[in-house]
Amino acid sequence: MNSVTAAFLVWTLISPSSDGHVRGEAWPTHMACSGGGLEVFYQSCDPLQDFGFSIDQCSKEVKPYLNIKFGIILREDIRKLFLDIVLITKSSSVLNFSYPICEEDLPKFSFCGRRKGEQIYYAGPINNLGFDIPQGQYHVLLKLYNENRSTVACANATVICS
Amino acid sequence: MAPHVSCFFLAVLLTASCEVITSSGQTCIEKEANKTYNCENLGLREIPATLPNSTECLEFSFNFLPTIQSTTFSRLINLTYLDLTRCQIYWIHEDTFQSLHQLSTLVLTANPLIFMSETALNGPKSLKHLFLIQTGISSLEFIPAHNLKTLESLHLGSNHISSIKFPKGFPTKNLKVLDFQNNAIRYLSRKDIDALQQATNLSLNFNGNDITGIEPGAFNSTVFQSLNFGGALNLSVIFNGLQNSTIESLWLGTFEDTADQDISSAMFDGLCEISVQRINLQKHHFSDLSSATFQCFTGLQELDLTATHLGELPSGVVGLNRLKKLVLSANKFKELCQINAANFPSLTHLYMKGGSNKLDLGAGCLEKLENLRQLDLSHNDIETLDCCNLQLKNLSNLQSLNLSYNEPLGLLTEAFKVCPQLELLDLAFTHLHVNAAQSPFQNLQFLQVLNLSHCSLDTSNQHLLAGLPALQHLNLQGNNFPDGNIQKTNPLQTVGSLEVLILSSCGLSSIDQQAFSSLGKMNHVDMSHNRLTSSSIEALSHLKGIYLNLASNSISIIPFSLLSILSQQSTINLRDNPLDCTCSNIYFLTWYKENLQKLEDTEETQCANPPSLRGVKLSDVTLSCRITAVGIFFLIVFLFLFAILLVFAVKCFLRWKYQHL
Repeated sequence: MNSVTAAFLVWTLISPSSDGHVRGEAWPTHMACSGGGLEVFYQSCDPLQDFGFSIDQCSKEVKPYLNIKFGIILREDIRKLFLDIVLITKSSSVLNFSYPICEEDLPKFSFCGRRKGEQIYYAGPINNLGFDIPQGQYHVLLKLYNENRSTVACANATVICS
Repeated sequence: MAPHVSCFFLAVLLTASCEVITSSGQTCIEKEANKTYNCENLGLREIPATLPNSTECLEFSFNFLPTIQSTTFSRLINLTYLDLTRCQIYWIHEDTFQSLHQLSTLVLTANPLIFMSETALNGPKSLKHLFLIQTGISSLEFIPAHNLKTLESLHLGSNHISSIKFPKGFPTKNLKVLDFQNNAIRYLSRKDIDALQQATNLSLNFNGNDITGIEPGAFNSTVFQSLNFGGALNLSVIFNGLQNSTIESLWLGTFEDTADQDISSAMFDGLCEISVQRINLQKHHFSDLSSATFQCFTGLQELDLTATHLGELPSGVVGLNRLKKLVLSANKFKELCQINAANFPSLTHLYMKGGSNKLDLGAGCLEKLENLRQLDLSHNDIETLDCCNLQLKNLSNLQSLNLSYNEPLGLLTEAFKVCPQLELLDLAFTHLHVNAAQSPFQNLQFLQVLNLSHCSLDTSNQHLLAGLPALQHLNLQGNNFPDGNIQKTNPLQTVGSLEVLILSSCGLSSIDQQAFSSLGKMNHVDMSHNRLTSSSIEALSHLKGIYLNLASNSISIIPFSLLSILSQQSTINLRDNPLDCTCSNIYFLTWYKENLQKLEDTEETQCANPPSLRGVKLSDVTLSCRITAVGIFFLIVFLFLFAILLVFAVKCFLRWKYQHL
């Protein structure tokens, strides 16, 4: 009986690592930027894949039209692409909004209309407003999805402002 | 030591068996029996043996097929659609698709192709669509041209192509779509374009190529369905290069991330020599917008100036007096009069949605647009106390009006009197202030579709929907009714022609039996996301053959008397209800199994009670509510004993009575 329990214990310990990178295991946390009293970390919450993201100028005083770098493999066509942002501070949601990035009648960015399977690298401006971040720690949930609500990218981000 | 070793072996065995289970669990999803299968993201190295030979549509993207050859797909002879996106294909050997005679669409997007054999694409009798996006192609010679005579669309985006020169003998006759997005094409020569002369009604996409030169006369007397030069930096080059061509749709917009050169009026001079019906110039900046800017646009029918940073259009604009459709969305107008509508007297369609400023409709700003049929003013923060007769003055031919997603509007009786031809009115997510007993939609004789979702309506107003004799489709989603109840007298009773009624998310807990009594033509009723119980079904007793959505309500037991009402409908959705799966609901449960073909979303229609059956699909529940054999035996024994006791008691009683005589 004892050996069976031990075997079970060993199995539970071994099996996740022997599975390699199967769904369910979290992706590593990356740093999107750091400096100017601001640190931004993110982790992909798409079980299928990770993605790369960085912000050029890190600062508490966020400037409008920030430049970012973004690399990903598309899991869906992005003729239509939408972004949902949920901002959580002290475990209550303070901001919740949805923004169209690519639409049939207004493809805002040059990558709009690219296809499933394509790898995308975007280095350029985003259409953000300038604002100052008050001191504190924030959780941001970002989700990119297409017209069928299929996930294109999903990120759990932590913003630490000191 | 020995037990440790045995432990280890046991552990290894267990993991092994576990892996077998997980890999066999990753099977393809059947989307349509024996026809359509999705095998995406499974890391497969071959076509699974479980796929039937009859498969017609196969989504096989994100798997691992370094080499594909004649044996890879030979079994699936009925394939018409094959998606091999990002399967790490390096080699496509000879006769790979030889046996797939029916194949019409082949997707090879995002594979690092090293070589395609000359006969790689032989086999399909009418291959229509070929996707070779991001496959590393730098020359069109790479594509085996043998079997492409029937090709209608060829997608070559995101490659390293710098010349669109097709090799000799490449069949272009049937091509309708040729897509060169995001390549390195900088120059278009006359020879390049000549090779495409065979094709008729071709759509050619050069979006994301920096075209810096076009040989003069290259497009001479060519006809195109559409041409896309999205993100091109120098529009003069394009206009001059397209001289003497005929183009139905010309897309010249730019993007947020594309370096932008201001458009000057002089740039459009070349347009005088081109025949174009539709032009899109989204996101450009006009440096010197004047009344003469559009003087070469005389032949134009549609002009799209979305997000072109416009705050005003000059008056007396020349060249747009024949324009039919104008898009001015996402601009900076503060007042509707700033578009100077008199410039476009022929306009039938005007779209001005999502402006970055709060838009003031003013008075009679569009009165010169007598032919206007469609007007979209959604997402503009429009706010007005008395809408809309002054604002829409003289739009007597308007058929479709979109005022959704605006700030509160005040509506009085006959609020749309000036647009008596309206067929569609969308006011979704715009709060409406309608005073008691007012009928804002009165006299809209032809109105067929009315969207009032999330308008914060006062639904106690019996006259709210009066005067809509032709209304077929009414959306009232997200409006509340007094006490969550639709009474016998309610505003719906006045719209007897209604066919589609949406009452989802209205906080309803009950509906009077007679609430829909005058709505005899309905064929689609959506009452999902409320708190309704089964008694509300009685309100539908006079309707037959309808689509009925009761998803996400509070229905648990549906008594026998209501089943006939459900039986007479064509489709019913009961998902996400706390359905009862005990013997007290046996009539419904039996009915459910007999009428599965009428039910929608049966996978999500589950029991909530008893706890032992919670989450079980209703279609999987089998209840036996008859008395069992043992029960019958005990009942007989009990009755028998009772009879003996009775006889005995009577006997005793009689004996006692006689003794006392």
